[in-house]
Amino acid sequence: MIKNILISLTIASSSLFAHTAIMSCFDNGDGTITCEGGFSDGSSASGVKFRVEQNSKAIFESKMSEDSEVTFKKPNGAYNAVFDAGEGHQVHIKGSDITE
Amino acid sequence: MIVIIIINYNLKGKKMKKIILSTVAATTILTTSAFAHFQMLYTPNTALVKGQTIEQKHIFTHPFADEHTMDMAGVEEFYVINKEKKTDLKPTLKSITFQGHHNSGKAYESTYKARKMGDHVFVMKPTPYFEANEGAYIQQITKSIINVAGAPTNWDAELGLKAEIVPLTKPYAIWEHGSFTGIVKSNGKVVPNAEIEVEYLNRDVDMKNNKMGSSRVEAPQDAFVTMTIKANKDGEFTFSIPKAGFWGFCALGAGSDTEYKGKELSQDAVIWVEAKPMK
Repeated sequence: MIKNILISLTIASSSLFAHTAIMSCFDNGDGTITCEGGFSDGSSASGVKFRVEQNSKAIFESKMSEDSEVTFKKPNGAYNAVFDAGEGHQVHIKGSDITE
Repeated sequence: MIVIIIINYNLKGKKMKKIILSTVAATTILTTSAFAHFQMLYTPNTALVKGQTIEQKHIFTHPFADEHTMDMAGVEEFYVINKEKKTDLKPTLKSITFQGHHNSGKAYESTYKARKMGDHVFVMKPTPYFEANEGAYIQQITKSIINVAGAPTNWDAELGLKAEIVPLTKPYAIWEHGSFTGIVKSNGKVVPNAEIEVEYLNRDVDMKNNKMGSSRVEAPQDAFVTMTIKANKDGEFTFSIPKAGFWGFCALGAGSDTEYKGKELSQDAVIWVEAKPMK
């Protein structure tokens, strides 16, 4: 029994590390930005933390929706969109790279 | 002495059986230069780093030899599916004349904003094309899959098409010298032992001027121009991809429709895959 549990835990943890966090953002053209999150195995990013940083400070914090999306008001100036699925699973996208 | 030779061969998407009477003394070497027709849904990059507007060219041609560009007879359906959302793209099609190496033909172009992350599965069902040489129609139901940002969503979806190749390998994420595996299906059921033609897109497509560029490789013999492989009893096949670029797979006569306007119809399933160079 214990052996089975150990095997299950090993499989679960190894699959976690196999995933790559992915995010893609686009400018809606109406003053808002939409970011979509996901993982390389196709699993949902629903509930994953998301924030917008400006000058290394979070100016917007949220979680990915059921559709693995977040929409926020486009900040003035330079900013970063951050998909934060935990250590080693963060994606940063510069605002200047987000286009329509 | 009379010898009867029975030869099975493919003539432009149609399996034919020919009986040849010959004498032993006459050592006739038979060659056919009937290369495979392929409906193309072409855009230069199927693995996009981020969302963007893509241009596609829809050409009915022979991708390796480019010895004849057919006039497309029209389009019955053209749509894209992203995360189970289907969008009709038929209104986006514009008629163009596409210049092949030997002639020009009627084709189409389209633009699409692939903005959402994940897989964008394009399906084109052209109006059957009358192949006068065979007195029969050809309809190639064609799939092409473009991915945005690397997140997999619906690339492996089975769409229940009348003729369909369901990929088991992401068609946009193949390294050069990798392989592609698919299953030939018709209305959701496997097509056992399906005959599949494979061709390499041997020319650059000039997207701006709607014409083919110069050829890249030469085939040592006709069997390398259109490579014919067979699916197994479960409709499954695998092909090792020797060179980066676009490869077309066409399952001949896999579809359930066999007649159009009172004539024979070969309803084929086509899928395009792209292999990237390791550099």
